[in-house]
Amino acid sequence: MKKIIALLLALCMVLSLAACSGNTDKPANGGTQAAGNETPNAPEVSADPIKIGVLVADVSGEEALGFRAYYEEYIAKNYNVELSYTEQLADAAAEKSAIETFAAQGFDAIISLSSSDRAIQIETCAKNNLHYAIASGMLDDAQYEQYKTNEYFVGQIGPSMDTEYEAGLAMGKYFADKGVKTVSIYGAFIPNPMHVYRLAGVLVGLGATYGGAPEKDAIVGQIFGDQGLDLSKVGVNGIEIVSYFQGYGETTTDELNAAIQAAPDAFLSVGMATTFFTQQLNTAGIEFSDIDSFTSGNGETMKNGKLVYLAGKYSSSIGPIFAAVVNAVNGNAIRNENGDALSLSQGYLVATDGASFDKYYSADKGDSPIFNKELLDTVIGEGVSYETFKAFVEEDRG
Amino acid sequence: MDNQLKKNLGKKIVGTLAIPAIAAAVLLTLCAVGGKTMIANRVSLNNFVVYTAVVMITTTALSINLNSGRFDFSLGAMAILSAVISSRITYAITAGTGNAFLMLILGIVIGAAIGFCSGALYVTLRIPPIIASLGVTLILEGIAFTITEGRYVMTEVQNGSMAAFGGNWYFPLMIIIAVLAVTIFLFDHTRFGYNYRALKDGQKVAVETGIREIPNALACYAVCGALMGIVGFLNAVRNTNINGGSLNFGSISIMFTAFLPMFIGGYISRFANEKIGFLLAALCMSMLNSTFAAFANEITASMQSIINAVLLVLFLIYLSNEYRIKAFLRPIRK
Repeated sequence: MKKIIALLLALCMVLSLAACSGNTDKPANGGTQAAGNETPNAPEVSADPIKIGVLVADVSGEEALGFRAYYEEYIAKNYNVELSYTEQLADAAAEKSAIETFAAQGFDAIISLSSSDRAIQIETCAKNNLHYAIASGMLDDAQYEQYKTNEYFVGQIGPSMDTEYEAGLAMGKYFADKGVKTVSIYGAFIPNPMHVYRLAGVLVGLGATYGGAPEKDAIVGQIFGDQGLDLSKVGVNGIEIVSYFQGYGETTTDELNAAIQAAPDAFLSVGMATTFFTQQLNTAGIEFSDIDSFTSGNGETMKNGKLVYLAGKYSSSIGPIFAAVVNAVNGNAIRNENGDALSLSQGYLVATDGASFDKYYSADKGDSPIFNKELLDTVIGEGVSYETFKAFVEEDRG
Repeated sequence: MDNQLKKNLGKKIVGTLAIPAIAAAVLLTLCAVGGKTMIANRVSLNNFVVYTAVVMITTTALSINLNSGRFDFSLGAMAILSAVISSRITYAITAGTGNAFLMLILGIVIGAAIGFCSGALYVTLRIPPIIASLGVTLILEGIAFTITEGRYVMTEVQNGSMAAFGGNWYFPLMIIIAVLAVTIFLFDHTRFGYNYRALKDGQKVAVETGIREIPNALACYAVCGALMGIVGFLNAVRNTNINGGSLNFGSISIMFTAFLPMFIGGYISRFANEKIGFLLAALCMSMLNSTFAAFANEITASMQSIINAVLLVLFLIYLSNEYRIKAFLRPIRK
């Protein structure tokens, strides 16, 4: 009996492994335009779908879900592409393994929303002849200089580190101007560079120094060195930082509760607060801020909760990098004036109340994203110049 | 005789309350010296009671099988999976509005079912329970991951009902009292409990006297599962989300939070009921947790983990060398 049960269990395992074919979406159905065709209403080209793997580090956050919905529910339905998302990638090894798996499955390109080790990602993609692009993020300057000539590196479109810093700065200034006396700060996933720059901006915006330094580069360097914020090094000017914590793990609930217990006037977050802490902060009645996306959940919190400041991106802001990848796969890669990979910055939009939130939210949702097919098709195809593409990305669509 | 009874009673009271009293004294002193308050407001009181409930129930669940020589790594996975399923069902039934009481009941039922299945696997395959539990842990984590697609479950547990539960300390207190009452009654005043203790203290003899160990083991696993269903619910209340992305034994950490309180509770059980010992141990852990929260800016998360580990090791060293320590102190007392 025991042997029969053991055999049955083994058979079940083998069958489930054989049936397991990864997290692949179905290719776009008939009636959609083949990628690479410049004319919006051109007849459908019979071609295999372009297969793009998407690396993700965050599968739960509002911004991450918004991005995914845009790719899966809009892009995949309007273009002849097959988009396949990874599970949550926890580290560089997982990213490398995911890329190699995509390569083995015959994928054409990788779009990365995961930043454990982008250098390894680029090298792995190049080794496996996969085009690689960074969505909603950027390499640091040194890494960009190192990889910009790599033929498989399509480019990066997202907030630059300076943009991240400015977003944090504006947030800090908003609350300083509001007259808060005490704040708690959540550092999200420092030492992720974008969170480091945002945090540096927040400190400067609040009028604080760090380790005696008042300017961006020195503060950023210290935060990287400290792998977080050391409150003993913060020099305040009328605003006290009563608590700071970062990351998300088993002690986070206790750290958040400690922050709430300190009864700050405001809770400033450089990311993910709207994902993880909304209910607790609403219940505690503490005004809070975040850098995220314009999603329905965040809208609800802004109108009926205590979210008072949101610096956000459109969920469809990852449309242009998709267009660049499609061009690269079809042999129409767009390089800058020096022949290097694209590096274009996108800024944040800020909502501080329901009306301003609705303005951005209604402009970019569901079947009517900002970067819709009609717009994207103007930069997909042969002969799209760098200047055209740059202007397309950097146009103010607020 | 009366004096002897009084002396014994006094010894039991002192023995029962010694560790919690010492812990309270030390931690309150530390807070006072640091200018902090362990429980500063209602929010921290709510968190204190919820955490006490989580630790007490997890410790009780761990001890049920561990006392019988069955090491069960799957407690955390049971908590997560029961919470995931019960939250989804509750969300569907209530059309999105949520209901904490319904989720709690469903969590208990589903947890018991999961525990029973885990026990059935163990008794059927007849492999060492520690090996079986490793496999069950991976299976349960995989199921939870598949259902949630590796995401945090948030929408289903963020609602007014759950917020109200977490915002009032008397709800988790009621759960503590109920679990205490049920487990004391079940394990100390029923045939099942007698059989459990007989099997725990001498399985061969117990079986030969006619006690059936397989139904008892299955029932133990089911009770464990039900208790972890409650823990899964309480964690969802506390964290306002459920981490469905734990794989590769990521859920085991829930079990390890119960180790130190289990040893403390085991020590206190010399003087009082074991379940009361677990409650008092959980209170100690909750006081420590609240102290960490008060000193959150000074004591990082990693330092907290180290302190917890050091306390566990120190207590184990004390337990292992208790007779030597008492022998060392005896000449001083004389």
